[in-house]
Amino acid sequence: MFSKSARLWLGLIAAASLLSLASSCSNKEPEPGPGGPEGKAYTSKGDEGTISGKISFTGAAPEAKKIDTSADAACTSKSPNLMTEDWAVKDGKLANTFIYIKEGTLADNSKIGDYTFTAPSAAATLDQTGCHYKPHVVGVVVNQNISITNSDPTTHNIHFMPANNPDWNQSQVNGAAALTHKMAHAEVLVPVKCNQHPWMKSYVGVMKSPFFAVSAEDGSFTIKGVPPGKYTVVAWHEGGAKGTEKTMEVTVPAKGAATADFAFGASAALSGQPSSLPMLPALEVPMPMKH
Amino acid sequence: MSKGVHRFALLVAGATFFLIIAGANVTSRDAGLAVPDWPLAFGQFFPKMVGNVFWEHGHRLVATSVGILTIALAVYLQIRERRGWVKRLGWIALGGVIAQGLLGGLTVKLNLPLVVSAAHATLAQLFFLTTVSLAVFTSRKWIEPPIEVRQEAPGVPLRTLCVFALTVILVQLVLGATLRHSATWDQTLPAGLLLGHIAGAIIVTLVLGATIATVLTRYRAENYLTRPALIAAGLLLVQLVLGITAYIARAASPSDPQPLNPMIWVTVAHVACGALVFAATIVLTLRAFRILKVERGAYALAAA
Repeated sequence: MFSKSARLWLGLIAAASLLSLASSCSNKEPEPGPGGPEGKAYTSKGDEGTISGKISFTGAAPEAKKIDTSADAACTSKSPNLMTEDWAVKDGKLANTFIYIKEGTLADNSKIGDYTFTAPSAAATLDQTGCHYKPHVVGVVVNQNISITNSDPTTHNIHFMPANNPDWNQSQVNGAAALTHKMAHAEVLVPVKCNQHPWMKSYVGVMKSPFFAVSAEDGSFTIKGVPPGKYTVVAWHEGGAKGTEKTMEVTVPAKGAATADFAFGASAALSGQPSSLPMLPALEVPMPMKH
Repeated sequence: MSKGVHRFALLVAGATFFLIIAGANVTSRDAGLAVPDWPLAFGQFFPKMVGNVFWEHGHRLVATSVGILTIALAVYLQIRERRGWVKRLGWIALGGVIAQGLLGGLTVKLNLPLVVSAAHATLAQLFFLTTVSLAVFTSRKWIEPPIEVRQEAPGVPLRTLCVFALTVILVQLVLGATLRHSATWDQTLPAGLLLGHIAGAIIVTLVLGATIATVLTRYRAENYLTRPALIAAGLLLVQLVLGITAYIARAASPSDPQPLNPMIWVTVAHVACGALVFAATIVLTLRAFRILKVERGAYALAAA
């Protein structure tokens, strides 16, 4: 039916298409993330201090949007007025901001990235309640357990979508035992979603060190046990497609307290200034196992 | 010729088109992993169809139905069809739908890797093309074409243009599938792939446009060719408008709390219309090959 030349062209084009897709795959190793290579275990010297502050929001806060939960009656019944929580602003203060030490130099001139820290034995918790995640933002140390529970009268599916750690996707029926998950590589921040209820979102910061905090409803946060030294402190908040970051240099005195107040504004909320979160490169096609 | 076979082939093609729409809904609603196991759903055949489980498992049920219809068609062709190559195409279609099912399972088992998801979307279109071709081959107008076979008119052979059009449409479909699966509704589309898909749209418009223009100028009196050409032209225009609308809606979706309309229906419509453009072009191509012949020496003359 087709001439020989037509068949040859069709075959060549199909082969070229497949080859171009396959060749753009690469065996990309996960990036190590902030924290640097493995190092010596950190030992407390008893002269640690704190970094505390408040996260504020200047200007008119973006209005929360109503979520349509009609696809699942159990969600509508438990949360009839579910709203988005990406910009939780109250009295000019911003909740759910992830604050962490990105890098820095201790008083003895060693780098914070030279140290390793033992993961806490207590698990961080992530609950699915009212068809939204609680807490909305949480931080863990690498290899620290995250205990995931389902408090809703419906099935959820918890899908961690990291860039530096293996993908993880599990379903959890109402009343099922808690699931446990941990990540071995530092990553700021890992989005978590539910494929059954696509409005559900959470973010998990996986840090090499325990020097992080999440701002409360009143915008306050405290990072404890920080060795004296000079640090780059980052405040990350979701918003737009990529999230927004603010950076500050902070000096922590021995047994003292440093203050780091951050302000996010209406312009940052609307434009979604690029953060240090890794983005899919424009022309790369990720290999299988990564999405 | 069996009217029953032809009608059944049309039914299978129609059901496959419906399956493409069902599959596109899964992607646009971000329901791809709503059912995390395969081939069962939460260990059952029929889970509770709530939330995105409705879309994901619903599409699996439609796919199963299409699979059963394809088995029936292959057997029907084996029994009633005299032409061996048509019977073989029926079994090839069955192989295609089985491969498509396995690819779908692989997307779930591997948590939606981009290459497998894009391959699943592309094979869906190729399988649809196969069912459309079977409908063409079993039609009265193929077995007894209403016009006599004749030599191609001078110039670039229409058959060559048709094959070229099919090829660029296929490449554009691959680009579109890769683009769609490279970012979920709450992420921005990668700029490189987006520009590639837009460039592909321009190339498809030029090549398919030239093909349609060739039909309308050289064979304007032949409904056998002008009809699928005009249908392809109309669908191409609709597809271009849908493409622009889909881009606008998709660019805004990261600001939405969840996948919403019009983004959902416009992106689904864009996928479905792309399948119809592909189908109209294969009908034109098959008919061109059916009634047009090229002299043996014509290519040699053109090369010289």
